[in-house]
Amino acid sequence: MGPLEVTLILVFSFLILVLLKVPVSFALGLATIPVFLFHDRLTITLLFTEMFQAFNSFLLLAVPFFLLAANLMNAAGITDRLINFARAMIGFLPGGLGHVNIVVSMLFAGISGSSTADSAGIGSIMIPAMKKEGFNTGMSVAITACSSVMGVIIPPSVLMIIWGGVMSVSIGGLFLAGVIPGMAIGLSMMATMYWYAKKKGYPRTAFPSFKTFISSLSKAMVPMMTPVIIVGGITGGFFTATEASLVAVFYSIFLGMAVYRTIDGSRFLTVIYESGRFSAIALFAVGTASAFAFLLAFFKVPDAIVSQFSALHLGFAATGLMIAGAFLLIGMFIDAIPAIIILGTVLWPVASLAGFHPIHFAIIGVVSLAFGLVTPPYGLCLLITCALGEIKVSEALKYVGIILIPMLIVLLLIILLPGFVMCLPQLLMPDLA
Amino acid sequence: MKMILEQYTRLLKVILTFMMLLLIIPVFLQIISRFVPFIPRYIWTEEIARFAFIWIIMLGATIAVREGTHFSVDMLKKYQARTENILKQILLISMLIFAIFFLIGGWQFARTGMLQRSEIAGLPMLAIYISWPLAGLSWIFFLLEHLYDHYSSENQES
Repeated sequence: MGPLEVTLILVFSFLILVLLKVPVSFALGLATIPVFLFHDRLTITLLFTEMFQAFNSFLLLAVPFFLLAANLMNAAGITDRLINFARAMIGFLPGGLGHVNIVVSMLFAGISGSSTADSAGIGSIMIPAMKKEGFNTGMSVAITACSSVMGVIIPPSVLMIIWGGVMSVSIGGLFLAGVIPGMAIGLSMMATMYWYAKKKGYPRTAFPSFKTFISSLSKAMVPMMTPVIIVGGITGGFFTATEASLVAVFYSIFLGMAVYRTIDGSRFLTVIYESGRFSAIALFAVGTASAFAFLLAFFKVPDAIVSQFSALHLGFAATGLMIAGAFLLIGMFIDAIPAIIILGTVLWPVASLAGFHPIHFAIIGVVSLAFGLVTPPYGLCLLITCALGEIKVSEALKYVGIILIPMLIVLLLIILLPGFVMCLPQLLMPDLA
Repeated sequence: MKMILEQYTRLLKVILTFMMLLLIIPVFLQIISRFVPFIPRYIWTEEIARFAFIWIIMLGATIAVREGTHFSVDMLKKYQARTENILKQILLISMLIFAIFFLIGGWQFARTGMLQRSEIAGLPMLAIYISWPLAGLSWIFFLLEHLYDHYSSENQES
């Protein structure tokens, strides 16, 4: 079997299985079985060895911890505090609640590492509130889903941790690199919201008094310290990414159980179980995707792709666009985590050849995959928010399209201007290669 | 039979919660030991955490098969009830095939762990590797339950 045959077997059996609604993680594993069985130098136990090696990583422990921290913050009612603060800060703009939704997602993104926790936590409060103020339901759902993609772009980020672990890239560097692109995406959404509210003639509310602003700020200040602790702790060398994630857990336990007293023992255990279950489902795919990627590497598929591409003599920009396109496309169909493991490892030699910095390449990948969270057929955040808004995905799709266009322009800037991504990590981590 | 599976799932949930709590302690000790001089630096803590983590993943993946919460993609349009029924059967049977491979291949894999001990804490590796065939076995039970439910609901309709 050569690289072409193996790729065809793997990709086609995977696609057919996914079409039959076999879970993505199972489809990835099932697709590898014929190759493991029928190749004379491979055995089925290799599938399990690969899975074991993928799971046996101290770094990946950060995934359940960051998820736990985010869920504890949600349970502690921190989302309400952030909403009140955002309302005092930005609620007076035309389309006030829409902007509040975006800013809250931005603030929450600094606390949580996953977008699904953002869309579930914020959506359950903001979507009914926006509907009540006369917003179109489709728009409310779309803005909640789209703004939650910042969850994996603004640090901390579960996707960046997995990327850093699989591809050996500095997690601190990735976290810092995500700050400016994440905020730019937020601002692009606010611009869309402003234009939309003007067009629809949404009424604006009065400026808040200085006193309300200060009181809401002081109530939101303590949870808003989380990103500073996490990113500062990692880049300052006080702790590793995994340890930082546990610090975030303790910080949220402290806030929920001692300061605000909104979480009791049984609630705590439920949140622990739910976080464990959800991260297990997401991470199980890491194992089967690693076995899938192992076979691609074993049959030298990445090398074959590189030699194809070097023959094309694509420049820096064209390679960047091609990479983003590939991640956007795969992100529409499968979960971001297996996509990183399979496509990230396959495309890195191509990107490296075109002169991309590993961090720049990673941010292009993470942002493109994050957009996949709101695009059908497999857009987890869109599915969650549509369920919360009680509408069909097709009803929200038009609005998602409107919001995505300026976001794609930001992605274009990220690809074409490396300095946009690299300035913060290079400024704060000078020893970064 | 349903009762037994129900109780079994509950047991798995309790173990998963316990493992999550177990995960926190070693990592916590590891941070503390760096900043507090009189606490010894336990190196086995990292290994215990990793092993608890593997069990969490396999247990969560097992529970998710029963609850049907693994992420899947919905791309095909809705067909007639008959076609949908057949598609559902193919889906469950392909998952069952994977489960059988997990049981048999996982058992071969687990047997290699009988003679190995972990590098730091000296735990028998079988204690970790066994989670693969165990997941396969549990999936088989859960998927047979799904198939049974599927057939009985189909019979009721017709």
